[in-house]
Amino acid sequence: MHGDLSNTLQADKKRVIKDKLVKYSISSGGALVLLTLLLIFAYLLYVVSPIFAPATIESKKEFTYQSSAEVLALGLDEQNDITYQITDDGKLLFYSLRDIDLGELLLAETISSNHSVFAKTSASAGAYLFADAQGRVKIFQPKFSTSYPDDVRLITPEINYPFGSDWMQIDVHKQKIISAAFELAEESAAAAVVTADGRGIYYLLTAEENMFNDELVWEKQAVALPSLPHRVDQMLLSPDLNNLFVRSGNNLLVYDVADIKNIRVKSALTINARDADVTDMQLLTGASSLMVANDNGVISQWFEVLQDNKRTFTFIRDFKAPGNVSAITPEYFRKGFLTTDSLGYLSLFHTTGDARLLTTKLSDSSAMQIAVSPRADALLIADNSSLRLLALDNEHPEITWSALWQKVWYEGYPEPQYVWQSTSASDDFEAKMSLIPISFGTIKAAFYAMLFAVPIAVSAAVYTAYFMSPAIRSYIKPTVEIMEALPTVILGFLAGLWLAPLVENHLPGIILLLISLPLSVLAAAFICTVLPKPVKDSLPDGYHPLILIPVLLLAGYLSMHCSGSLELWLFDGDTRMYLTNELGIDFDQRNSLVVGIAMGFAVIPTIFSIAEDAVFSVPKSLTMGSLALGATPWQTLIKVVILTASPGIFSAVMMGAGRAVGETMIVLMATGNTPIMDWNIFEGMRTLSANIAVEMPESEVGSSHYRILFLAAFVLFIFTFFFNTAAEFVRQRLREKYSRL
Amino acid sequence: MITLATPAADTQALAGLSAAQTALEIKKLDLYYADKQALYDVSMKIPKGKVTAFIGPSGCGKSTLLRCINRMNDLVDSCRVEGSIELQGINIYDKSVDVASLRRRIGMVFQSPNPFPKSIYENVVYGLRLQGIKDRRTLDEAAENSLRAAALWNEVKDRLHDNAFGLSGGQQQRLVIARAIAIGPEVLLLDEPTSSLDPISTLTIEELISELKQKFTVAIVTHNMQQAARVSDQTAFMYMGKLIEYSDTNTLFTTPLQKQTEDYITGRYG
Repeated sequence: MHGDLSNTLQADKKRVIKDKLVKYSISSGGALVLLTLLLIFAYLLYVVSPIFAPATIESKKEFTYQSSAEVLALGLDEQNDITYQITDDGKLLFYSLRDIDLGELLLAETISSNHSVFAKTSASAGAYLFADAQGRVKIFQPKFSTSYPDDVRLITPEINYPFGSDWMQIDVHKQKIISAAFELAEESAAAAVVTADGRGIYYLLTAEENMFNDELVWEKQAVALPSLPHRVDQMLLSPDLNNLFVRSGNNLLVYDVADIKNIRVKSALTINARDADVTDMQLLTGASSLMVANDNGVISQWFEVLQDNKRTFTFIRDFKAPGNVSAITPEYFRKGFLTTDSLGYLSLFHTTGDARLLTTKLSDSSAMQIAVSPRADALLIADNSSLRLLALDNEHPEITWSALWQKVWYEGYPEPQYVWQSTSASDDFEAKMSLIPISFGTIKAAFYAMLFAVPIAVSAAVYTAYFMSPAIRSYIKPTVEIMEALPTVILGFLAGLWLAPLVENHLPGIILLLISLPLSVLAAAFICTVLPKPVKDSLPDGYHPLILIPVLLLAGYLSMHCSGSLELWLFDGDTRMYLTNELGIDFDQRNSLVVGIAMGFAVIPTIFSIAEDAVFSVPKSLTMGSLALGATPWQTLIKVVILTASPGIFSAVMMGAGRAVGETMIVLMATGNTPIMDWNIFEGMRTLSANIAVEMPESEVGSSHYRILFLAAFVLFIFTFFFNTAAEFVRQRLREKYSRL
Repeated sequence: MITLATPAADTQALAGLSAAQTALEIKKLDLYYADKQALYDVSMKIPKGKVTAFIGPSGCGKSTLLRCINRMNDLVDSCRVEGSIELQGINIYDKSVDVASLRRRIGMVFQSPNPFPKSIYENVVYGLRLQGIKDRRTLDEAAENSLRAAALWNEVKDRLHDNAFGLSGGQQQRLVIARAIAIGPEVLLLDEPTSSLDPISTLTIEELISELKQKFTVAIVTHNMQQAARVSDQTAFMYMGKLIEYSDTNTLFTTPLQKQTEDYITGRYG
């Protein structure tokens, strides 16, 4: 007895251990799946989160120097190692910013001892100009040369005179220059000056290579500026040397200076904000946007917009700084700018993001000069006696909620729009990263795919489960399910290279096919019912659907065969031209119709398989019950079977939709990847998934573009998450209502 | 009790029933599932306004016979029927007979309750809606009458629009009966209606069956001999696809003429 008992106990122990082992291994498996999912989620968030981090600024270094002259301009090298300043007494001074010799004067040179006007180019050109009382100018450029003696980086400051270190006579009358603008382009330069006797001179220098010794020879041309206002407060020249902006108080004259032989006033406008006066204006990088600062703190953006076939300067949007804005400093390569104001605040803005990113109090006075480093990661602030270097953390100013999800008025666009155009060849390109067009594309592609797939898949599922004989069903179901394993890249390949040209060449035939196939099925079914019984009986029971195969093949062949003549008869022989010219519908070869069909084929097996299971698992007792009440099979199908299977059919459709939303290869190969927003079935689209696949290889790691692509992935995640959650929610509700407990 | 032409020792039981007293007449019915014969030469008359019980061991063909009466066997692909069943003189296997209309006249209730995933009300009026009846008042009236007839009205009148799955098993089975009688059939076929129910629900259903025979002809298949004895007026005993004995219930249970019948009712097999 005793032995028996201990034996039972031992066996129990083994069972307990097994139980526990199974319990823990299964729960840990489940937990790992959840953990993986959370890790993906967390990684996406980790990459995306910096774009929503606020800009920060932090004081890093400071030194004082002996100088009584006012600082006119500031700058620094790319490494933030050396700074230069140009002072009002005509000097160019280089100071070290390195920790070892902070504040040491590295190089000093007097450029001019007697000047009347100072002017500078855009930050990226980095050249300066002094003009004097004799109508002469001197142009110079602080430069940094990098060398690596003993494998250590050494940056040496230099001063470069692109047009020689002598004064250049601009005004032949030797009048005092009282205002100047100046810009340096690749192989040309230009200056616009106003003399004390009220004349305006536009002076153009064009480089020509000497044929014998390859030296650059500067050809000089000077013309008078017409209709110059009496008072000139500020002049700006665009870096492409096309526009000259002359501000007189609150009025702006825009000169077209592209052709030196035909300089004319393009437009005259008033640019001040309401109840305020203009204090400063600056061109943003790229020279399209003019930023105008006002004494009430409003900074407004203007650029040329095409209206009625004419480019006119238009007010776009404005920003608000705390105090009376004294100066605007544009960034080197981005559409951002800084302002300083009378209250001593520094504010940081970005035009595409339409946002004030940062406001911080720097000092109590406005008497200071600021400069941004070329990489926009540091900020220099100088007054008469000291210089401060601040670290600026502002990696992704252009990405704001409004830039991603709202209409943005991009430079040169006629109106605010949703645009995705992340990169271009040029540096000063305004990246257009609205997620709306690609989200729209995702929905459009999924919509057309579902439009094609749902009716076919669901009716096929219902037919297979409810009407088809078990013998055929046992072939049909696995066959359709194997279709699901077909690599989508093959479907995409076929869609792009075979289907798209086919649809393009036989468009009337394809449309005809959509009508003739269902009609021929109905016709065949009708003929079947009136056939004499012996003919009907000659086919084994349940094999009736096979009759449809030749019928469908014939209908398809006839439709395609008629395509050409139909095209001639109805569409003047060219459907594409007819659509575009007569109906005003654009037609792309890679369009939604092709994607709908190709992706439809990819989703059909998913929907079919789940929906078929759902219909098939409707209890036979319900069907019997309905039939026993005198219902026809058709009534039973509609009123009982589909109703009971509806949660399953619904989740099948949702699974299909989830797959269509996430599908990549087919849309990549068959959509043309054009991020346009249009429901037109004959135009393409770009989806979130395809966008990631196309652009990820070309995006710089850590850049805004890179993070936006991760954000797109995150949005895709949310999309499917939303679809699945909504589907599950509705399914639960339906199941409560219709399913047997 | 009507005096029947007893004793009827042969399978042509109750043969003396007049046409007016007969609800259904089964004539020489053979049934095959593919090559396998399931019913052999069954002939019987089912009297009007009575409860007829079918008993027999599992697989004896009693449910198959019942399903033949409203042609539910049509749903089985390999099933083939020879002989005839006449409903008021018309062979229901005739080509001109519409199966759906036939089933409207011969209702059926299955082994386990099978309410549709709809409200109680919608379940009851389902058959009427199929016939295209849309008038709210007609439907309401029919629903109330049939629920009363199925002795369910008092229990569900306050929750007619709740899901039918909220009912207990016995209530569901009565709901299914109400649903079957709502369309006004002449014959009601009950295929082991209490086999999945508890004893109290069974009792309720049995009481209900006795009520129902005042309006309908009832044919019931049951495993439970006591049930057959309690509810039926005449009983048919089937064995191996053959009708062995068919007579007045009292007679069959007290003085069976066939040895097989006696063996079965005394519990020797089954």
